[in-house]
Amino acid sequence: MRELLPLSMLGGILGLDVVCFPQMMISRPLVGATVAGAFVGDATTGLMVGVTLELIALATLPFGASRYPEWGSAAVVGGAIAAALRVSPAGTITIGVLATLATAWVGGWTLVKLRQWNAWLARRKRGALEAGARGTVVGLQLIGLTSDLLRAMALTAVAYALLFPVARPTVALWSFSQTLSRAVTVGAACAVAAAAAWTIFHSARGARWYFAGGLVIGLLLLALR
Amino acid sequence: MTLVLNRIDDRLIHGQVVVGWGQPLDVRFIVLVDDAVAASDWEKELYRMGVPPEMEVRFHSAAEAAPLLDVYRTESHPGILLTGDIATMRELVLHGGVREVNVGGIHHRAGRRQYLRYVFLTADEQRALREVAALGALVTAQDVPAARAVPLEEMLASGEVAS
Amino acid sequence: MTAAARSYPAPDPAPHVSALTWVSVFIRMLAIQGSWNYETLLGNGVGFALEPALRRLPGGVHTDAFKAAMTRESAYFNAHPYLASVAVGALARAELSGVPPERIERFRTAICGPLGSVGDRLVWAGWLPLSSLVALVTFGLGARPLAVVLTFVLMYNVGHFGLRIWGLHVGWTRGLAVASALANPVLRNGPAYIARAAAALAGVAIPLAAARVVGRDGLLLDFVLAASALIAVALVRVHGRVEGWKLVLVLIALFALVSVIR
Repeated sequence: MRELLPLSMLGGILGLDVVCFPQMMISRPLVGATVAGAFVGDATTGLMVGVTLELIALATLPFGASRYPEWGSAAVVGGAIAAALRVSPAGTITIGVLATLATAWVGGWTLVKLRQWNAWLARRKRGALEAGARGTVVGLQLIGLTSDLLRAMALTAVAYALLFPVARPTVALWSFSQTLSRAVTVGAACAVAAAAAWTIFHSARGARWYFAGGLVIGLLLLALR
Repeated sequence: MTLVLNRIDDRLIHGQVVVGWGQPLDVRFIVLVDDAVAASDWEKELYRMGVPPEMEVRFHSAAEAAPLLDVYRTESHPGILLTGDIATMRELVLHGGVREVNVGGIHHRAGRRQYLRYVFLTADEQRALREVAALGALVTAQDVPAARAVPLEEMLASGEVAS
Repeated sequence: MTAAARSYPAPDPAPHVSALTWVSVFIRMLAIQGSWNYETLLGNGVGFALEPALRRLPGGVHTDAFKAAMTRESAYFNAHPYLASVAVGALARAELSGVPPERIERFRTAICGPLGSVGDRLVWAGWLPLSSLVALVTFGLGARPLAVVLTFVLMYNVGHFGLRIWGLHVGWTRGLAVASALANPVLRNGPAYIARAAAALAGVAIPLAAARVVGRDGLLLDFVLAASALIAVALVRVHGRVEGWKLVLVLIALFALVSVIR
């Protein structure tokens, strides 16, 4: 597991991007899984995992105060696992997606804990904040950023260290074909993406016709290949 | 259609209301009941900027709103009833017709204690919520549609961070 | 001119703030959610971002005016993180122009919801999914990994950084009258145009992306797309009460289990 340290650093940076800094959305699974795959030596497998997850992530709108999956660190874990197991490809995409979703779930919980930790720190410093101490304001911000970076690094390292040893025998015992496995996985993701597209966009006038038009173009492009 | 959500949220109109609830429920109007906002032209202007052009916001004080709710319930499109505090919602429940109340966000302030990550209450506010329930409204806490609706007694029993 | 603009005319002339201070404010704004918590939300981040500008208050950082401003600006605040730049610019202008504290606090309270709502519609429910879908279409058309990733990152961040820079500029130039800036056609009508474009792209992207992941088995792909459509209809009918990603997690966990034990 020589890759654990660089992966945890990558997971840290991408996990930090989800909420704290700089929110360039390099934490989206499309980016995270692909970059992690490239890190482990197979960007294309990482991209396949990332695309499937990106379809799913269309449904998760990151409203500030609500609880949502933490895609940044999780996509690094899933993309890296899938890319590392590419020699037996039948179940790798499915396992990569599964590892990401499980990690993202735990990651969402760690974000809630981080926010409670930040609140606890702010409560302890309430007197200084009410006195307008700039050092306290700056200090709380820097501690919050550092805590988030460490949270995301630890999450990536622990998830990868726990899930990779499970993923390897799972892929070895995988009995469904590669095509069927990918079809089920991306099929489920497409269902979520289509539902998300409807939910998010249907209130715009004519959006359903734009969707139908796009679908016709997409299917025509497929038929013409 | 009718008022599909009766929400208490001290942030009033914001993303969770307009996008989080508004899009899946296809909401076309918001009835914002708040005495201070109803009396301030520039605040009304600000809140109007927060909704898409196809969504309407109607501003009322609590006293004005109570008799109008029956009219809003006959609208052809779904709408949201929104108050910034519990006292205003209690007044509307007291008037009748509000059968479910969604606690969507009451945030930290001196003297409030945390019940959920988005609900902080003083002792008076806790009592007021119980009164709303005693008037026959089903009170639950839920920030966005995909979250679990936490029943009032479960929320108050937790007394600390849950959900 | 809006009621908001009539109520709070921008103070004139603008106080002098150096380019270096603006760079510092801007970089700090990228970390505005760094200490996000359930009590003050991104309040501390607003104080953190404004601090370099507040140092320009007469007398510097050791005065009561500076400390009072820091206290005010670090209190509870909630908005979309990108559009918070509008508030940061307006609050910097108000503080440095000596606007009365009660006016600043009233403005600070009232601007939260609209900035959050506009930002969520424009970015989280607009520009972000649009950028994702453009990248998914490029993937479906056969682009290589680097091209797909760069398409997304570059497109998304043109909008992201553009919005932050515009917000800071318009906040500073209009001060507490900035509400009128929210009537900007891009903010008012942009989400609807983006929604239509994204709806069309979703129609193109979903079958193309599925086809590239599954491969060239036409019959299986037809079945996948038909089954997806049925599940999507079921998901829509529950009005967002079931989270899609959790449903996928359960479905493919069961699939993996069957694959291993059969």
